[in-house]
Amino acid sequence: MTLAIEADHLGKVYPHSASGVAALSDVSLAVPTGGVYGLIGRNGAGKTTFIRIAATQLTPTSGTARVLGLDVQGDERAIRARIACVPQESRPLYFLRTEEVVYLYLKMRGLPSADARRRTKEALDELSLTEHRTRLVSRLSGGTRRRVLCAMVLASDADVMFLDEPTTGLDPLARREVWQAIRRASREHRTILLTTHYLDEAEALSGRLALVERGRVVLEGSPADLRARIRHPYRVTIRGAIPRSELDGFGDVSEIEGGFLVFAQEEAARELARRALERGAKLSMGPVSLEDIFLEVVGRAIDDDNGAEEKALEESA
Amino acid sequence: MSERHRLRSLFSLVLLNGLIPIRTQPLYLVNLLASPLSFLFFIDVISKGTLISYGITGGLILTMLSAGTGLQTDLTHYRHDLKFQDVVVASPVEAPVYVAGMALSELVYSLPGIAVFVALFIANGLATPEAALVVAGVLVLVWGFATALAFTLATYFEDVRETFMFSPLISLLLTVLPPVYYPLAYLPAWAQLVARFSPTTYAANLVQGVAIHGQSISPAAAALDWGVLGAVTAALFLVAAFKARWKEP
Repeated sequence: MTLAIEADHLGKVYPHSASGVAALSDVSLAVPTGGVYGLIGRNGAGKTTFIRIAATQLTPTSGTARVLGLDVQGDERAIRARIACVPQESRPLYFLRTEEVVYLYLKMRGLPSADARRRTKEALDELSLTEHRTRLVSRLSGGTRRRVLCAMVLASDADVMFLDEPTTGLDPLARREVWQAIRRASREHRTILLTTHYLDEAEALSGRLALVERGRVVLEGSPADLRARIRHPYRVTIRGAIPRSELDGFGDVSEIEGGFLVFAQEEAARELARRALERGAKLSMGPVSLEDIFLEVVGRAIDDDNGAEEKALEESA
Repeated sequence: MSERHRLRSLFSLVLLNGLIPIRTQPLYLVNLLASPLSFLFFIDVISKGTLISYGITGGLILTMLSAGTGLQTDLTHYRHDLKFQDVVVASPVEAPVYVAGMALSELVYSLPGIAVFVALFIANGLATPEAALVVAGVLVLVWGFATALAFTLATYFEDVRETFMFSPLISLLLTVLPPVYYPLAYLPAWAQLVARFSPTTYAANLVQGVAIHGQSISPAAAALDWGVLGAVTAALFLVAAFKARWKEP
């Protein structure tokens, strides 16, 4: 099967990096064709660098990357005919009307007028932008502008779409609409490489995920694979009735407001839940969230912004 | 990408960066007219009308030059502030189509300026058939090398403010110091030598020679002027093709 994106020992050191720190280091990934693949990581982890290399916007320093079986260094023209990208921090041209942003982008890609017009209408409907159809982009809110960019790319005929933090700044309802459009595109056998630091978004959309930290892939697989690979795949929250000393043997225990949070293996979690219920404690139990996995693997929360040096590297390039 | 697709891309870019912004802000049309008309006004007043022909031919050259060099600000702004170049790179649109579309869109802004100066050119009796051909050829080359220069620079600038710094410098080197608005002979010898390093000197020589001095320019001198202007244009196109950063290093 042809992979949508394939990276082999990919590395990137930005030319003006004074410290010589690699923004990407020895990254190997295989993104299957069709569906959503999530790249998650803190700010500056290397997600954008990876996307920019795969989208043929940036030259890698080492290793290779292929998109739809084509080399990003040599087959750029053939790749570009089949991809589309919403870059991080991009904004639509502010003097255009909403519908013009989408329509002209599609025309620019070479679509005939009738096709471009139909796709524009469908994309605006899908992302609830029809009411803003004739408004100038300069008069739209930041979140709506971001949605316009998503509509633009999701309306395209591209086989592989790169969405770099597509829902940043969107309200929860608008995020759900973008998710629906992404799911629709993936049902049409498009491949979507999505970077996000919203872990609920990554979990809701992605068939497979790669967790990136300091330029390296530290965990990769389906959400179920990721859970299976960590030490404690279950989380139990207990409030009242059981003292801390009785919990330590079940797994990793931390104190939370009014009780304790225990990360444990499945058997231990079940046993703990049984005991807690017998003692009348309040309890919730379930598989760990992506956020828990991230915390366990990286040792820091995803919104812990100490990735500043790599971020600075990416921005300086 | 087929030729039909390329044409669609090209016209979309002309719409996107030329015709639609003018609909939103018609004053853009006056922008590129202001500087050449100001020069023309000063030259006419100071020379008591004796150098008006130089003001008109200079205005034509400056208008086309500005249409080309003005591109650097738009391209830098789109690349850095809007990430539009990244959107285009990751699409079937090829770099030459992008540059051509954007350059044509800038030319749209110059149309009033070109119209005004062509009207003045005709009204002042400068427009013989030969002069019209020479002026058209020179203006295309001036626009071409200015566009290639602007595109290359725009892919290196780190911030749109850098274009504000470079624009007056380019203007000084290409339109003020070279004899675009006056005869080369008016310059002292050392300045004439310096002016020889600017391609606009050769453009002005050709236009002034055929439109103002009639047949006074020798075929050999004309051949030299065309040769230098053509070579500079070709060289800047080659630099744009091989050194402009479409894909980031």
